[in-house]
Amino acid sequence: MAIMKVAQALLPQDNRFDRNGEYTMSSYRRCRVAIAICALFAASSAFAQINTDIIEKHRADLAKQGSDPEMKRDATQPRDWNYDLPQGVTTRLVTFYVGGGTALHGKMFLPRGFSTKGSWPAVIVGHGINALSIGIEKYAARFADRGLVAMAIDYQSYGFSQSGSDDIRLLEPDPTTDANAVTDKHMRIVMKRTNLNNAQEVNDFRAAISFLQGEPGIDPDRIGIWGSSNGGAIVIAVSAVDARVKACVAQVIGTRPVPRRPVAISEANMEDAITRVRTGQGAETEAGFSFRTYVDRWYLTRNQDVQPGAWLDQIPQTNHVLFIPAEKDELTRGDSGNVEAAKFLTERGVTAQVATLPDLTHFQAYSYTGFEVGSTLAADWFLKYLGTGSAR
Amino acid sequence: MKANLFLIAAALSIATHAVTAESATETVHYYSEAVRCNAKLFTPSNHGASSSASAVVLAPGQGETRASIESVAEALATRGIVALAIDYRGWGECGGFLYFGEPVRWDDRMRFAQLTTTMRIRRLRIDPKAQVIDVRNAITFLQSVPGVDRARIGVWGVGLSGGHAIVTAGSDARVKSVVAQHPLLAGKGEPRAAFAPTPQQQTMMIELARTGAPADNRAAKAMNANEATVALAEYKPYWYLEQIPQTTSVLLIAENSQASAADSAVKLLKGTSSVLKIEKARRAEATNAAVEWFTSNL
Repeated sequence: MAIMKVAQALLPQDNRFDRNGEYTMSSYRRCRVAIAICALFAASSAFAQINTDIIEKHRADLAKQGSDPEMKRDATQPRDWNYDLPQGVTTRLVTFYVGGGTALHGKMFLPRGFSTKGSWPAVIVGHGINALSIGIEKYAARFADRGLVAMAIDYQSYGFSQSGSDDIRLLEPDPTTDANAVTDKHMRIVMKRTNLNNAQEVNDFRAAISFLQGEPGIDPDRIGIWGSSNGGAIVIAVSAVDARVKACVAQVIGTRPVPRRPVAISEANMEDAITRVRTGQGAETEAGFSFRTYVDRWYLTRNQDVQPGAWLDQIPQTNHVLFIPAEKDELTRGDSGNVEAAKFLTERGVTAQVATLPDLTHFQAYSYTGFEVGSTLAADWFLKYLGTGSAR
Repeated sequence: MKANLFLIAAALSIATHAVTAESATETVHYYSEAVRCNAKLFTPSNHGASSSASAVVLAPGQGETRASIESVAEALATRGIVALAIDYRGWGECGGFLYFGEPVRWDDRMRFAQLTTTMRIRRLRIDPKAQVIDVRNAITFLQSVPGVDRARIGVWGVGLSGGHAIVTAGSDARVKSVVAQHPLLAGKGEPRAAFAPTPQQQTMMIELARTGAPADNRAAKAMNANEATVALAEYKPYWYLEQIPQTTSVLLIAENSQASAADSAVKLLKGTSSVLKIEKARRAEATNAAVEWFTSNL
């Protein structure tokens, strides 16, 4: 059954479907061949972009993680965030800027043998909804252990990153006029934190790409991005708006293809929208899983501006997309959205693959065997499509 | 001298709340995200809280402030439509974009921290996406004005902001009617795709990501220019045309050479739409057409 499941996941990459979703004769033939080969060689289909044997190899451990009460998770826990810095991997804290001067935090993980005179691929690692980079640093550490430069980032108004212009309100009149392009003034302000805004997170990722492109030793044409949960939606959106991305891994996020749509504001949110424009601050609500805080309730409306499932058709063929869903994901309801997205991308000539973590729920992907398998598959993907580093 | 100043002050206060035979104007303020903006609200002379008027946001063109478009707003108000002429953040009577001019610290457990610190305030930036957010926040403000029918909102723009009007209608379901005069139609003839910067644009993007908010005017102006170059290069209003719902009516006013682009653009629209071709010099004709369009479609 597991073999068939993997075969199903693999099929869309290897067969072209016509626009009505019908098999063409030739693809139907290839489809049957694919099933036969998958059945014969278990999950290690010759048609896969990367080998997913590791899933079958750890099948029993994944099943145990899925059923062990100790390893059950409704959110990640601080003990899930810890990791040992791999031997030879070094780190460097950096500051980069978005939106005209908002300082963002990046923690770079440099692989063994890294040299600023060489040419290395680099991967940006971004956190999920209302979270912190400290929770996913271990992915960056793992990628560096595998020979990639990796940088974990905090989005604006989170963790070690500054609040952006959207999050700062003056408590006295703005004295500036169009006579000057910049003015410094000592002022009374209110600085807002944890302002959940997917559109800004897309900008933050893109600023990180720009920063890494200018970093000595990094090949500007070999940049990848990794995001998990809502961060997975962000990396798909970034892939759709920025052709500098050459490889993308989206973990535990549904990205079902949908039509583009203008955002409607529900009647319930309209009064809040008005409070926002009348006072500069709307209602709050609690949000997040691993890191619960209050956020502006407006995020439920604003985040609809970012529509990864609607933007799939903008992803260029120079990008390569791997989805790592969890089979029993309670938030995305499994992997069907990714299977559809991969099929959609493949039809458009974009290399895409789905590697489902069997038995796991959403937050189990981040720990134990879920982490081992998920981070290995992601690193395999990046190494395959970004290549390896060389000290020249 | 004192008397003169008093007279000037009196004249100014009248200017902020002037009433003509057919319309009244009022300086209002609202917040776009966290930035306070002044705007000018034009209301028909018979307008009251019990009215149910349609309303239009008017956004200035590239590098312009609302003074350049107030005549159109006034023309709408004299025909019974509430009109709001706005500035974008960092322009005219809107506050600037805010950055920290010295190190600050925070703790995410404290959501709202009040402090005094050196702010670095940037102006004259051209960020099309931020300007579209400004238009959308202005729509929300307009929907809260007494006597405005929230379901009958229009957007008017010229040049770059004609592009914003199209983008806003394609991204925000509240827009029911659009007049885009000489609109930016970038994206025509290009398939919808991720932005692939040229080497030169890529160099600018790298520099922007590695440079904080500039300290002096000259550096700030240079940074404004680079930001605008990159942001405009990836701004494609044409791609939003097909997202505009059937319930939104669109008038494209094409000036001079733009006629054929407008003819192609209008074919992508599902609802009531029209192209008006005029000579660029005949802007009064365009204003009349805009007034007629909103009057009959809102």
